[in-house]
Amino acid sequence: MMRETRIRRLPMALSAMVALAMAVLPLPAVLDTFRPDFLVLVVFYWCIESPRAGGLSLAFFSGLALDVIHGVVLGQHALALTLMGAWATHLRLRIRVFSMMSQCLVVFALLTGYQFVLFWVDGATGNPVTAFGRWLAPLIGALLWPVLISIMGKVNER
Amino acid sequence: MVAFRSTDASGRTTGLLFRCVLFCLLALALIIVDKRFDHLGKIRRLLSVVAYPVQVAVASPFQGWHWFRDSVTTRDALRADKGKLEAELRVAQFRLQRYEALEAETQRLRALRDNTAGVTDRFVIGEVMNVDLDAFRERVLVDKGAGDGVYVGQAVLDSGGVFGQVARVGQLTSEVILVSDASHAIPVQINRNGLRTVAVGTGETNRLKLPYLPTSADVVAGDLLVTSGLGGGFPAGYPVGTIAEVKRDPAQSLADVDVKPAAALDRSTELLFVWLKPQAAELLPPLKPAPVPKK
Repeated sequence: MMRETRIRRLPMALSAMVALAMAVLPLPAVLDTFRPDFLVLVVFYWCIESPRAGGLSLAFFSGLALDVIHGVVLGQHALALTLMGAWATHLRLRIRVFSMMSQCLVVFALLTGYQFVLFWVDGATGNPVTAFGRWLAPLIGALLWPVLISIMGKVNER
Repeated sequence: MVAFRSTDASGRTTGLLFRCVLFCLLALALIIVDKRFDHLGKIRRLLSVVAYPVQVAVASPFQGWHWFRDSVTTRDALRADKGKLEAELRVAQFRLQRYEALEAETQRLRALRDNTAGVTDRFVIGEVMNVDLDAFRERVLVDKGAGDGVYVGQAVLDSGGVFGQVARVGQLTSEVILVSDASHAIPVQINRNGLRTVAVGTGETNRLKLPYLPTSADVVAGDLLVTSGLGGGFPAGYPVGTIAEVKRDPAQSLADVDVKPAAALDRSTELLFVWLKPQAAELLPPLKPAPVPKK
């Protein structure tokens, strides 16, 4: 068991790095509004797939990385990602046996919760972003979930 | 479709609640400390160094492509470019001939008015890193940071005019907030008649607005807006934009004025960081009243 958890750390870190890079990858302005939160999806995947390998720590530190890269108040993404990561971990046994459709719905709920925490902290720290576009990201993220887990499953198989 | 493979998911995740609460408290503490106090500047600066490789990795393919494109340019294209640049240089030098004299005169006049604001001292050129920060905020990342002496609040220009100001400084990079960001305002005046006001960003890249001008203000479409130098953040006299449209509703007390920014906010890749001269007036001999001859 110990060996199993240790083996998973590397793909975990690598996939998080790739997702982080995709979060800052320059896109045309039109597409930029539709950019899903890749790193959040990856964190959810690891929280569900192997919670004992430290999914929650991954969530917290990925959140910190997002804070620094987006240049927002430190701890904002970390808080949102920790809360939703914990929720995903809590629901993991159910999510794993769900049909793909239901999984997408749960992920949509998690992503919306994530956006809501960000929205709340934005407002509480005095620079609210009220653009409607930010609520699109959860929808697109949820639609991408099946693609993501099939890719991650392939990576994990190796 | 078997998506999840691991076996340890059914095992207990020891102290999930405990760890969740711990991390959340930590994050909340970070938010509060970062917002209320200024102690996290160093930590953030360090963290931005850690983020730097990711940003460089993302930006490098684009830079590589530019480099490749530059290095396979044909001789003819280079010659055409050279001809164009020489022509531009001739025009620019022609215009510059009078500039020195004008600047000296301006300084003298400013000194007379005891207005030391807004004389530029030196420039450093920074390059915009090809990295998207946030889709809903008008900000860019530039490859000059605290190591180059960049400071928060510093004015940033591009070849067209005022671009924005430094919002946050890392060791190697800095974040520039564009004049068009919804939370940005800049003191300006209308070049034609000297009318002072404040230009506020709208969140749209190619539009600023002047929300504080009365309906009766003397402003027409096409007027040039320049920085007024008031407030001390920006050097005076640099173009901010041109008035695009003035909507006057007699029922309102304030006019609705749209401004088209002078800087190429969505296209510029090379930006100038500007240092202001601390005390421009001190360089000139102070004007004293002539001594009254005693009798």
